[in-house]
Amino acid sequence: MLKKDLILRSPAEKALGLKNITDGRFGAVLSRAGVGKTRFLVQIALTQLLSDEKTLHISLDDSMEKINLRYDDAYTNLIDSIGYVDPQKAVRLWETVKHNKVGISYTEATFDVEKIRDYLKSFKKADLALPTILVIDGLNFDSDLSQILTDLNQINEEFGIFIWLSMQSHREESLTQEGFPVQLASHKTHIDKAIFLVPVENKIEAIVLKDGDRTNQAFVLNPATMMLEQ
Amino acid sequence: MIRDLKRVRNIGISAHIDSGKTTLTERILFYTDRIHKINEVRGKDGTGAVMDSMELEKERGITIASAATHCEWDNYGVNIIDTPGHVDFTVEVERSLRVLDGAVLILCSVSGVQSQSITVDQQMKRYKVPCIAFVNKCDRSGANPAKVAQQLKDKLGHNAVMMQMPIGLEDKHEGVVDLVSMKAYYFEGANGETMVEKDIPSDMVDAAQDAREVMIDEVSLFSEELTDAILEESDITEELIRTAVRAGTISREMTPVFMGSAYKNKAVQPLLNAVVSYLPSPLDIENEAIDLDNNDESVFLESDFEKPTVALAFKLEDGQYGQLTYIRVYQGSINKGDTMINSRDGKKLKVGRLIRMHSNQMEDVESIPAGHIGAIFGVDCASGDTFVSPDVNYSMIAMNVMEPVISLSITPKDNKAQINMSKALNRFTKEDPTFKTYVDHETGDTIIQGMGELHLEVYVERMKREYKAEVETGQPRVAYRETITQKAPFNYTHKKQTGGAGQFGRVAGFVEPTEEEFEFVNKITGGRIPTQYIPACEKGFASCMAKGPKLEFPVTGIKVTIDDGAYHAVDSSEMAFQAAARGAFLEAYGKAKPVIMEPIMKVVIEGPNEFQGACMGLINQRRGIIQGSQEEGTMSVIEAQVPLSDMFGFSTVLRSGTQGKAQFTMEFSTYKQVPQSVAEEIAKQKAEEKTAQNK
Repeated sequence: MLKKDLILRSPAEKALGLKNITDGRFGAVLSRAGVGKTRFLVQIALTQLLSDEKTLHISLDDSMEKINLRYDDAYTNLIDSIGYVDPQKAVRLWETVKHNKVGISYTEATFDVEKIRDYLKSFKKADLALPTILVIDGLNFDSDLSQILTDLNQINEEFGIFIWLSMQSHREESLTQEGFPVQLASHKTHIDKAIFLVPVENKIEAIVLKDGDRTNQAFVLNPATMMLEQ
Repeated sequence: MIRDLKRVRNIGISAHIDSGKTTLTERILFYTDRIHKINEVRGKDGTGAVMDSMELEKERGITIASAATHCEWDNYGVNIIDTPGHVDFTVEVERSLRVLDGAVLILCSVSGVQSQSITVDQQMKRYKVPCIAFVNKCDRSGANPAKVAQQLKDKLGHNAVMMQMPIGLEDKHEGVVDLVSMKAYYFEGANGETMVEKDIPSDMVDAAQDAREVMIDEVSLFSEELTDAILEESDITEELIRTAVRAGTISREMTPVFMGSAYKNKAVQPLLNAVVSYLPSPLDIENEAIDLDNNDESVFLESDFEKPTVALAFKLEDGQYGQLTYIRVYQGSINKGDTMINSRDGKKLKVGRLIRMHSNQMEDVESIPAGHIGAIFGVDCASGDTFVSPDVNYSMIAMNVMEPVISLSITPKDNKAQINMSKALNRFTKEDPTFKTYVDHETGDTIIQGMGELHLEVYVERMKREYKAEVETGQPRVAYRETITQKAPFNYTHKKQTGGAGQFGRVAGFVEPTEEEFEFVNKITGGRIPTQYIPACEKGFASCMAKGPKLEFPVTGIKVTIDDGAYHAVDSSEMAFQAAARGAFLEAYGKAKPVIMEPIMKVVIEGPNEFQGACMGLINQRRGIIQGSQEEGTMSVIEAQVPLSDMFGFSTVLRSGTQGKAQFTMEFSTYKQVPQSVAEEIAKQKAEEKTAQNK
């Protein structure tokens, strides 16, 4: 019951819809530095954990410890958004679901899709359920990522995992005619779902750029918690 | 005993099995005039090298226990601890590293950085031990010291700097060129004891000059004077270079690389020069202790002979004259006749015979001052104990000793073996804090516990060889437990009123899960059970915890509340209420959905990045939950939680899955319910065991 309540509270569910989170190949969360890409990606991943699915979170910026802390924080924010929840019940639920997340920390130099493939293969070998989403946080979309995206596309095909990416845009760059940051525009054929986080006064606006059914809708988020503003 | 601590070095020699560390130690002892004949490991005369003092080591050609030895070189006192290289004996390596100030990392010039080099290197990092590298076996076919130095950089992340160049390799290996003095060194005499200095061979001059420039460039980072000298193009003296190398080495920012062939008596003396020139003296190292009288505050120890004494017992051996305790004195000095306190238990001890070891030969000394390593005879203590003067109460920070993870039953083959086995176990448990033993009261078996299968195997062999105790071993076992998952009521009457003294007692209440091991709550009102029988009830319930009704594993996490009952003025007794409690427990237990719990271990795998995926796969195949993974330089760390039962044989699997380049540690994390399929398997096994026992 608590799981369902939490999923319904999730900003990712509100903005994208639970079904859309895993429907397709690639999704992207875009924003300028420091707005909240990673925190939104974690909220996306949380919807899967709360659905008893596995997630794999790869970061090129955060340490393993930091990744875990981000999930703890995101879960706390979600719980707090409900109002009162029996703390023991909340802790018990987190203890059960958090083990479905694996956080891997790479550097830009050591990130290698082949390693991810090896790891995912081992799920198949051990006859285990595969993660439903793969979050990759920190790839530099200002550089040429065509090979990495091709390799990731193969991962998607081979293992049926939806891949969520963070994409950093820049203040000085203007948007394309479609309203896309250039980073998304140059990879738009790959990306099925995209959400753009824009700071507006002291709030964050989450604009759905690509989606199955909510495109061009905007949602207002609290910058401290990333929860939807009432 | 050299009292100027600037002229003392406490060093370890660490490396992979078969990279030649025992041979190298043997040569060092020969050149420092401690032994007069060189024994090869597994030598033809069957003597074996001096450092391998245990028979088993001699036979296997590996070094299992550390032996401390003292020698002198160029008016420097050098204490050497020969350390084992196998992962299952890491407690030995770690203990040595705890008491050492520096280390020589030996690498094979053919096979380079091997898995155990990685293990040992990580341990050195943990204890922040500065080290220099010696690329050994340059006489072997395929020798390539430059490649090994590169591997030191790539695989271990060392800032390896070549300090020498080999003169010839493989069967043409004659000596080395020292890039600091720019001289060539050759080793003459039957055992290479005469070091001859010559000019660099003409065909090597240019290469040596280039290599020297590379070296100076790297080394200049650690000395402003050297940088200035380079910039000003003034004279770069040997002294300037050596000071910079020493600074870089002690701060662990660089690893000077030396080379040679211990077996062929080549370039061991320059290595000794490097040990005294570049590795730290006790004065260069900060050592801390905990002040037990002052809220465990950290205190820095000073290598001052006049201050209160603080010494650490880092190794015990049981010899023919009683227990030999190896110690490192950190502050003050230990003198013959002194009274010391063991800060672990507060017991006083009188220092009788003090010795300095030369492998298994000993030399009596009057005193062991701060900064030195020696041994005391006849002191009853455990490994890791701290000895202090009566005026302080310090403890050296506990060594990183892990809890045993594997157990094995051992049964002596005959009566004589039984007696010898107890003697052996008594000694081993004192010597090695990771080796434990107890008697299983159910089966009467003696259980030994340790860090790995090989760890236990070696102790079993040592029992056989050193104590003539032949034992049979059982299968490795996991400590399962039982618990309940829901609240369940009980209302049980124990009644026996047919002839003789009657028995009557009724207890009612409920059991429920709890975080504690066992809780008992008395909510009886109105004297339904008289107060004097309440402890009997508690005892009755508690007695059921030792052996669970489900599969006879110990029960944990049960809270028993009694709130009703009845007694009989004549027939009730403590015994009757104990029996009633036992009956009540059984009645409630079945209804409380009992489950089997298994120990879950926190497993940390460290290995080269390229094996990260493979290692994570291995965890997946063992019911493990990966908590995360992180790359640190060239190495990946994977943290996971894995049931202990799935970890048996893991070291072998890990080695073969990673070409022996990854290692793991594990420690107990928590108990968790086993999945149904596994519970069924355990039940089946247990039933089979019972049938076998009844036969």
